[in-house]
Amino acid sequence: MIKKQLSKDKWKFMLYTISHPADGYYEIRHREKGSPIIAVLLVILFSVVWSINRISAGFIVNDIDPRDVNSISELITVLLFFFLICVSNWSITCLMDGKGRLKDIMIAIGYSTLPATVCILIGTLLSQFVSKDEAAFYTMICGIGIAYTLFMMLVGVMTVHNFTLGKTIITILLTVVAMLLIIFVVLLIVDLVNQVYSFLWSIYQELMFRA
Amino acid sequence: MKKRIRTFLGALAISVMMAVSGMSVYAEEDVPYDTYNYNYWEDIVKTPAAYTPDGNVSGEDVGTTAFKEPQDLCVSDAGEVYVADTGNNRIVVMDNKMTKVNRIIDTFTRDGKEDHFNAPYGVCVSENNQLYVADSNNARIVVMTPEGEFIKLVNEPKSEILEDDFAFIPLKVTVDYADRIYVISKGAFEGILLFESDGVFSGYFGTIPVKISVWDKFWRRFASKEERSNTQLYIPTEFTGIDVDSGGFIYASNIDSDGKQAVRRLNPQGKDVIQKGENGNVGGDIRIGLYGDYSGPSEIVDVVYRDKGKYSLLDRKRGRIFTYDKEGNLLYIFGGIGLQKGTFQTPAAIEAIEDEILVLDAGRNTILKFKETNYGNLINEAVGLRFDGDETKAIELWKQVLELDENNELANSGIGKAYLTAGDNEKAMHYFELGMNKKYYSIAYKRYRNQILADNLGWILSIVIVLIIGGVIFKRIWNKKKGKKREEGLL
Repeated sequence: MIKKQLSKDKWKFMLYTISHPADGYYEIRHREKGSPIIAVLLVILFSVVWSINRISAGFIVNDIDPRDVNSISELITVLLFFFLICVSNWSITCLMDGKGRLKDIMIAIGYSTLPATVCILIGTLLSQFVSKDEAAFYTMICGIGIAYTLFMMLVGVMTVHNFTLGKTIITILLTVVAMLLIIFVVLLIVDLVNQVYSFLWSIYQELMFRA
Repeated sequence: MKKRIRTFLGALAISVMMAVSGMSVYAEEDVPYDTYNYNYWEDIVKTPAAYTPDGNVSGEDVGTTAFKEPQDLCVSDAGEVYVADTGNNRIVVMDNKMTKVNRIIDTFTRDGKEDHFNAPYGVCVSENNQLYVADSNNARIVVMTPEGEFIKLVNEPKSEILEDDFAFIPLKVTVDYADRIYVISKGAFEGILLFESDGVFSGYFGTIPVKISVWDKFWRRFASKEERSNTQLYIPTEFTGIDVDSGGFIYASNIDSDGKQAVRRLNPQGKDVIQKGENGNVGGDIRIGLYGDYSGPSEIVDVVYRDKGKYSLLDRKRGRIFTYDKEGNLLYIFGGIGLQKGTFQTPAAIEAIEDEILVLDAGRNTILKFKETNYGNLINEAVGLRFDGDETKAIELWKQVLELDENNELANSGIGKAYLTAGDNEKAMHYFELGMNKKYYSIAYKRYRNQILADNLGWILSIVIVLIIGGVIFKRIWNKKKGKKREEGLL
């Protein structure tokens, strides 16, 4: 099963999707050519490259205190954020006649991180060799990568759900609202569980002291 | 035996010396306030003390009655210290070391009649050795000789640019080399009042522009006329302290509610020409608390121009003294509010005598003295050399600063600049990186890169040629293979 998901064809088709987003995502939705495992791996790769960029981009372009960077917590944040986006988009599009399954949404978002990953990596390498007036190249390369990633995400969501552009943008805005709702509910639950736990713990303590 | 005694004595001497020097180091660091600075990321970094308390001087100490709410302090070129003893309606003149009173000026003869001060708030001695007293409640500036003999008065200005209800309450006064008189009057938020040397009012000088945020504008759009008239007026802040440098540039401090710019360097046209450092801040503390007793931006009440482009600001909120160099880099911070020796209650004015800093405390009615430490001295000297353009000479001083304060960004940058001038680009880059100086790092890096390219041009060119030829050959072979495969019907 995993082997099938990681087969050479799947990787090749991922690359095809990068260069032909609309066609690629259509095939992924309707002919099972995508792999959610590859999507998650790409998100992990993105997170790693992101941390590398923050830690070791060249001195000229790097304004980040390297002591503030924790790649593990960044990885966890990026993954959680990825799943949050996928789940909230899925829950919104389910209500809005979206054709995509959770799997497709994960693939759409995961695959589209690759341009940003590659460009940020190239930018990080390049930033080791730039002076201040050439720093614009670094910004440009990273900017192009991120712009292409956003474009691919838009096309991906649009294609897998078979939406028009306007409807896609509306669902994306609603997705943001759904994300906030999910975060709110999760915080609420965490707080509740904490309170229940401390309540039970105090009962236990009381019993132990009296016994 | 003799030898043994000698070694014993030597060891004793060394241990005593170590103990003494250790103690002196301890004493130097044992200051009743925090000494710190801000790094590139605007985090607080503790530094050694640049100045330590060196005693305080009250009225009784110098052989007169106690000061009463003194508000201003001035040091003449001759080295005498003038105190505007506001509550006692007098000017106290002390000698250079502040051990005794030279004279007290409380009366003077004007047109044959005796005249008095009424709450003299500001005092200044000009380069031409004349004493200017801002006689606040009498609404006049009194010009006298340093001995206290009356010369002339500068009275309330009359001009159509002044509002009808304008009240002249001079608080601080300073005079430039051409005897132009700059006066801060209470409530005159339009700027500093400038008088020509003959005492004629010539206009406002150095108005602080009003800042209205986008947010305020947004709300004003929705407010009704009544609401608008009820809201606070958008008026500029007043100046609080004033000083002049030898070139005639006026340094004027103000209380900035944003904490971004609390001092202005005004050229003769009244335009602000101050230089700001990398963080664009000349407003005192950068990291501030948002609530509590000591929250909010620094409230700068006075400024003193020191030598070599340096100037110091006095903050009454947290009692800090901030010293900047000409380029707006924060050099060191010291001072604090408190009841201990060497801390302030109500700091009102700041002055400098050579390497000593004097702060007048209106709450304690004393003058506090601060002397520079080795650390402070090294920074002052090095900044001085940089101001004079002898940066390469400063390298030894900066290295000594680094021994005391390893992460001092200014010192690292300074060393980097010296190496850059000497042509050692690699070392310069190293120090610029430590000093977080991106601008100069970039210059050093460019030179370094060009040097490497020039040195290895032969290699690089031959590798490029080999790659091109290799690429062409590889492509041919590849095409042939593909062609064969196509013929065999594999593709």
